[in-house]
Amino acid sequence: MARLDKSRTSSHQLRPFFTSQNLLNRADGSAQFDFGGTSVLCSVVGPAEVKIRDEKLDKATLEVLARPLVGVPGVKDKTIEQNIRETLEPLVLSGLHPRTLLQIVVQTMQDDGCVQSTAFNATMLALIDAGVPLNSILGSVTCMIDRKTNQVLLDPTREELAQAKSTHVFVFDNKAPPAQSKGDEDDVVMEDGDRVEGHVLFCESTGVFTEAEYFECYQVCYKGVQTVHGFLRTAVQKKFEKEHQQLQD
Amino acid sequence: MAPKNKKGQADAADESTSAPTLRVILPGDQLPPHEANLPTGQDEDAVSMMIDQRAPPTIKLGPGLTPMDDDTIISVKAGVLNHTDIGNRWWVESNQRRYVAAPGESVIGIVTGKTGEHYKMDIGTAQPALLPVLAFENATKKNRPNFNIGDLLYCRVAMANKDMEAELDCVNPTTGKSDGFGELKGGFAFKVSLGLARRLLDPRQAVVLRELGKHFPFETAVGMNGKVWINSASTAHTILIANAIKNSEFLSTAQCQSMVKKMVERI
Repeated sequence: MARLDKSRTSSHQLRPFFTSQNLLNRADGSAQFDFGGTSVLCSVVGPAEVKIRDEKLDKATLEVLARPLVGVPGVKDKTIEQNIRETLEPLVLSGLHPRTLLQIVVQTMQDDGCVQSTAFNATMLALIDAGVPLNSILGSVTCMIDRKTNQVLLDPTREELAQAKSTHVFVFDNKAPPAQSKGDEDDVVMEDGDRVEGHVLFCESTGVFTEAEYFECYQVCYKGVQTVHGFLRTAVQKKFEKEHQQLQD
Repeated sequence: MAPKNKKGQADAADESTSAPTLRVILPGDQLPPHEANLPTGQDEDAVSMMIDQRAPPTIKLGPGLTPMDDDTIISVKAGVLNHTDIGNRWWVESNQRRYVAAPGESVIGIVTGKTGEHYKMDIGTAQPALLPVLAFENATKKNRPNFNIGDLLYCRVAMANKDMEAELDCVNPTTGKSDGFGELKGGFAFKVSLGLARRLLDPRQAVVLRELGKHFPFETAVGMNGKVWINSASTAHTILIANAIKNSEFLSTAQCQSMVKKMVERI
């Protein structure tokens, strides 16, 4: 199917990824993540000293600050802040660093749709770069349903989002789905028997959509996220290979 | 290593997708059970093996690995998976910039405050560390060392606990000798990543220090907290050494040698 985004041929195709880690000098960890023309830079400071007011006695305080492309942070940025914080809270093993602060700053650098997903992925890489203990890693993609064709488009651009009937942001972790549990249907079962499942960490849908459309989006995004996870793994692996090359020769 | 998977684990999903030499694992990755002699029971950090008497009885988990409730072992940090057969130890070698104190590690600290019984030390952790004034060689209540704010001290982490400030000492508690710990006078201190500091402390990997040592003499102290102190005959040499060490982090041995050579020629 033809897309508004001429660089892609398929509706389930993602834009090219790009990442760069450890690019800020003074932060404890930082990363940039790009989905095509969308780019987000994230920095992590922590575990650092925390203000008495925010101190938690048994775990680290997570603080997320989202900065928009231009101007001062508004309601939209506060939503992203809250979404990221609430998704990360169960992921970060904050009990290992009680009475400390983990500050995450998310700066949008370029906006061509799917900023929230890009921010999730950038945050993940920055946390890995900072060496914050995590119990799993997350990956995120966005998809939308076209108003005219009712087609699910993965990773839409801003131009495509203008034609959207509904948009869906999904975040999945990297835990392997319980593949052995064939037969016992206690989770989501697809009607066509094509069962794809993962652990959804976060999902935000806006617009009008049917239940069947929602599950189609879920499946498309789950498959898309596998590519993101693979890419994150390669990015981290490349960094460690570079670091350890002195030991190799 | 682990001969066979005696228990016949069904979830033997091998997460290691890395090259044969470097096994990079990410948070959430499982330690492959067939290799780790997957254990059945567990306590704090040593997990007992009751499957086979001939197999090593315990598996020791180092930094970056945590046993989960369902008897699997997962990584909580991204890094390179390491293993030694002695004691069947597994750990993840990761790199970060923020120091988290661990007992027994040598660190370089800056005096940031002084109370009657303690010095307050900045070692790069979230909370300042405490150094008792009596934790020095030959220190008594009458004869206590005198340091000022801003002084640099090479010390050892005596006690580290996630809920409390770390405690340091500059003396070996059994012999009462300083063991080389104490004030670092003169010189220049700078910060590097914890991974680089660890490599500088390993004589097999400290290529840059070896290369620099061929050209001019210098003193150095490396703290596990990523602080490096150097002292040499001239300021120009000190600057060169500091820059060379900072540059060396992502270079191979050959690149490191040519980098040092080029810098020395330019001086």
